[in-house]
Amino acid sequence: MKKLSTLVLLAAFAMPLAAAPAAGNRAAAVPSAQAPVPAGETDQTLHAMHDEMARARARLVLTGVGKPFYIEYRLLDLDVRNVTASFGALVSSSTSRIRQMSVDVRVGDYHLDSSNFISEDGFQGFLGSTGEVGIDRDYNSLRQDLWLATDQAYKAAVTQMALKQSFLRSLTKPPEIDDFSQAQPLVKIDPRVDPDWTSRNWEEEAREASAVLKNFPQLYGNRVNYYLVYATTYRMTSEGTLIRSTRHLAAVEAAVDTQAEDGMSLHNYYSVYAALPSGLPDAATVAKAIASASTDLMALRSSPLIPDYTGPVLFDAPAAASTLAQVLEPSLSGARPPLSMTRDFDAFLERFGGRSEWSGRVGTRVLPASVTLLDDPTLQELQGQPLLGSYDVDDEGVNSQKVSLVESGILKDLLMSRRPGPDFMYSNGHARSALLSDPLPLSSNLILQAADALKPDDMRKKFLDSCRSDGHEWCLEIKRMDNPALSAVRQEDFSEFIAELGGGISNGDRVPLLVYRVYVADGHEELARGGILEGLTLRSLRNILAIGDDPTVLTYMLNSQEGLGGTALGAFGSAQDGIPSTVVAPSLLLDDVEIRGFHGEPSRLPLDPAPPMK
Amino acid sequence: MKLNLTHRAFLTGAALLAASWGCVAANRPATAQAPAPAVLVAMQDELGRSMEAMSAADPPAYFISYTVSDRQLAEVSGSNGALLSSSADRARWLEVQSRVGTYQLDDTHKLGDRPPSWTSPGTNVPIDDDIAVLRREIWRETDRQYRAAAQALIKVKTSQQVQVQTAEGGAPDFSHEPPHTSVGPRVEINVDRKPWEERVRRYTAEFSKSPSVLNSIATFTALATNQYQVNTEGTKLAFGQIHYRLELFVQSKAPDGMDIERYANFDWLDPKDTPDEKTVFDGIHQLVKETEALDKAPLANPYAGPALLTGRAAAVFFHEVFGHRAEGFRQKDISEGQTFTSKVGEKILPDFISIKDDPTEASLGGQMLLGSYPFDDEGVPSVNVPLVDHGVLKTFLMGRSPLVDVPHSNGHGRRQLGFTPVARQGNLIVSSSQTVPFSEMRQKLIALVKQQGTPYGLLIDDISGGFTFTGRGQPQAFQVTPLVVYRVFADGRPDQLVRGVDIVGTPLVSLTKIVAASDTQEIFNGYCGAESGSVPVSAVAPAILISEMEFAKKETSTDRPPVLPPPAHDPEAKVQQP
Repeated sequence: MKKLSTLVLLAAFAMPLAAAPAAGNRAAAVPSAQAPVPAGETDQTLHAMHDEMARARARLVLTGVGKPFYIEYRLLDLDVRNVTASFGALVSSSTSRIRQMSVDVRVGDYHLDSSNFISEDGFQGFLGSTGEVGIDRDYNSLRQDLWLATDQAYKAAVTQMALKQSFLRSLTKPPEIDDFSQAQPLVKIDPRVDPDWTSRNWEEEAREASAVLKNFPQLYGNRVNYYLVYATTYRMTSEGTLIRSTRHLAAVEAAVDTQAEDGMSLHNYYSVYAALPSGLPDAATVAKAIASASTDLMALRSSPLIPDYTGPVLFDAPAAASTLAQVLEPSLSGARPPLSMTRDFDAFLERFGGRSEWSGRVGTRVLPASVTLLDDPTLQELQGQPLLGSYDVDDEGVNSQKVSLVESGILKDLLMSRRPGPDFMYSNGHARSALLSDPLPLSSNLILQAADALKPDDMRKKFLDSCRSDGHEWCLEIKRMDNPALSAVRQEDFSEFIAELGGGISNGDRVPLLVYRVYVADGHEELARGGILEGLTLRSLRNILAIGDDPTVLTYMLNSQEGLGGTALGAFGSAQDGIPSTVVAPSLLLDDVEIRGFHGEPSRLPLDPAPPMK
Repeated sequence: MKLNLTHRAFLTGAALLAASWGCVAANRPATAQAPAPAVLVAMQDELGRSMEAMSAADPPAYFISYTVSDRQLAEVSGSNGALLSSSADRARWLEVQSRVGTYQLDDTHKLGDRPPSWTSPGTNVPIDDDIAVLRREIWRETDRQYRAAAQALIKVKTSQQVQVQTAEGGAPDFSHEPPHTSVGPRVEINVDRKPWEERVRRYTAEFSKSPSVLNSIATFTALATNQYQVNTEGTKLAFGQIHYRLELFVQSKAPDGMDIERYANFDWLDPKDTPDEKTVFDGIHQLVKETEALDKAPLANPYAGPALLTGRAAAVFFHEVFGHRAEGFRQKDISEGQTFTSKVGEKILPDFISIKDDPTEASLGGQMLLGSYPFDDEGVPSVNVPLVDHGVLKTFLMGRSPLVDVPHSNGHGRRQLGFTPVARQGNLIVSSSQTVPFSEMRQKLIALVKQQGTPYGLLIDDISGGFTFTGRGQPQAFQVTPLVVYRVFADGRPDQLVRGVDIVGTPLVSLTKIVAASDTQEIFNGYCGAESGSVPVSAVAPAILISEMEFAKKETSTDRPPVLPPPAHDPEAKVQQP
């Protein structure tokens, strides 16, 4: 077993939580017994998990300390193909098999347990409760690894519980909300799926798809990445849940960048996702799309700067979807944040816009009266287009459910995991995690609809009318928002983006990529560059001027790394660490949007012109 | 300088390496006859163009170098009887150094005790030999590095105006070195991972037979590195190195919670030298035996008295206590302790001890030396450097950051990929002009115990590694962690294994207390981490007897051993798979 590096903030976010009130919909006493492995099952992983958990349930106890009340084993079995090319040349290519486990042990009870608490110090074991395990899918080595991880997790829980109880005694009024809600155990064993890498030559496709970029002499750098993964997830709990499920994902993600003549750094991206590798478009199609993104980038290069602006802005459907992912996600979760001994955690949430504005506001109007907002992981497709955010069972072993969040503008429900909150107690099947990170209540297929949607022509007319009535010569239309996780050619560019914009995110700073000036006189469009949307928060969505009837599916990878899940930055992820999600949104016309033009100092141009590509 | 010596030593090293490439490269006549490698062509094309533009810019660049490390890695790892991972990868990493200012004062100049400005160190470049694409990547990275250097130089110049200069700080920032041209054949490995997958399963399953072993890992790695380097002084290099390694690692816990770890490694250059099954299993059984014994061994008490270090233990001792303090760049950094800075020509060790660092030797007594290389990471040929001659300090290990009295590199500028090279050890080799057989060393230890009236002496059989503080902010101390320590009694009782001590001390005192050395050198091959990352090194030494050494209690874990017994050794549990 190898120790995995721990993502501190993720670990911090951790775990189900606490709560008492709320509408109980299914609180029957839950059996606390392990599910047996079905007779005839030959999967040694299931047997090893079962037998080691049985031993721990029966005998794992330290003198003078309570036995665990909850034990959970999660195991992830991954087959990954990862190929990157640039300008037609292969940069890297790998095929890997990885198996990771994560063990959660809790002491206490559902009302007050060892989870959901962030402290400065805790148990320092010699091995962690998470780690890489053998890829042979054998019985003996997995039992050995689970044995040690369970032992470490139990000791960590005991330590954490003592710290938590001591912290609770220092509070005037300890939280009344339970730490963990009950849920019906689920037994569901899907057939295993063997990966198929042979049907297509991914190295050749990556070369071919990126070779088209040689036709753009002004392009500085680019990366075209094919990422294909088959994942089998195991989950076993001491409550009786036993799940083996398979998921797969195939992605092409490409980034291109350059500088404008005045030195401004510019980039663009392309992404396409499919449930299976065979669902990805062929290399010629990808090449065409990447060329189109590069053509847009070249147009940006020679476009004028956006001046400071306040007025109506038309968001085309893809731009509206991305904006909604950033603005809505932080307020969708009904879970209470964890108890924290330090203020750092709260500050972190504030900084990245992670604080829910909807918690405690159920029954009040939060969106225009015509608007319905729902999150539906059970929906497989929409208008023939697959919805990659769908799943049967969530990452806490709870059946997925459609959740009507907002009806006629009124907030009705929130997304719930097994961590209760002030408004709701029970999970509605929305606990989601990337790899083995701790599950959080996150959106899956988030769908925004309006009763009074307008046809595209009417939308445009309304846009120009309001522009005219405001006395503008032109107004702005946003066709595409940036996704820095995908548009950064180098990882550090994304880190820089977060460092620079991080503070502004909570104030509603949003970064558009393709912004057009649309002239009132004749409706013609001019691309412009360099603006940032300011103050675009939930408040901005309470008065939407008009909503289109052109719902479009945006597929994106919800980033839950480093604690970004449930924050505005969660909208920026990549296939390697994100959670497949969609937003279905129509075009939106917002009034009174502020855009700040570029006021910084652009970097200077390279001293040498780029070397010839051909 | 020692040009003759340099040249001769380098040829020796290269010949040895070439011999080992021969058998690999022979299968691939196509690559062997290939003209200039595409990477070199691309680098050469961009180098001229970049230098022309950047030497005319403000501030002007006076030196640019490009390094591409093309690494082919096969790795197979097993744990507790199962395969953990098995992978084969190839990647190319580009590093660009663009220096602005002058050799005397440039952007890398260290400011007081502030760390130098840090720019991310490079980028992945294509593994396909597409010259145009490689040039594009080099072009971009060169511009990035030039900008960073130009900004750093402004800070350096500003700070120069407000800070006093020390004598050591008056040395130039970069040394002039003659260019070197050497384009060798490309090296490649061709590893069948399947048999290794079986082997690591077997090895770790063998460990699991012992209930004392909580966790075991066996890792096989095969690494072929082809390094390409050009610079504006005219250096043009292409050379390759191959290295195979098997590592065995076990973890256990004593009843009081102390972590017990044992480790062994095998290194070889040529597939024919792969350790056979018997050798590996003997190693495994030895580790298990030591682990089980350590679990039961009593805790040692703090102690000061005579100690006998076996060759491998002594090698690590010299690496930490002497080697790091002989690294040249530390002598000019005012935040460093500079233990030996003013001691050149003075006696720092007993007369019978001599020390050299010789990266030109690929092996010693048939055993591979891990710290060997034909050229260092600044493109300078490796040099056999006599550091201590009969107890007298002669010079320092040098990269291209010169000292006032040592103006040139001696081929020790080294780095892990992604770090800036500094002077590091290669193969540190300690020899003694007076030797005694090991058995006699034991007698001498017992004599010292009697003479000093201590209850026992200590025999240090293995050292896992250690660390040393060379900075001024901390005491000039070192600490090395012995893994296997025996008490040796004067009254003829059998040796007693103990656990839980670290060797602590200060370098100037410890080195002068060496009273005897044995007639057999032993080799420690490992990776050493310091300012420029982790680099492969060897340390070679005979066993040594130290008249007084201090041992302190080791920092230990209070985490108890697992509550339940291992599943495979639990009489109450179902232990067999269904």
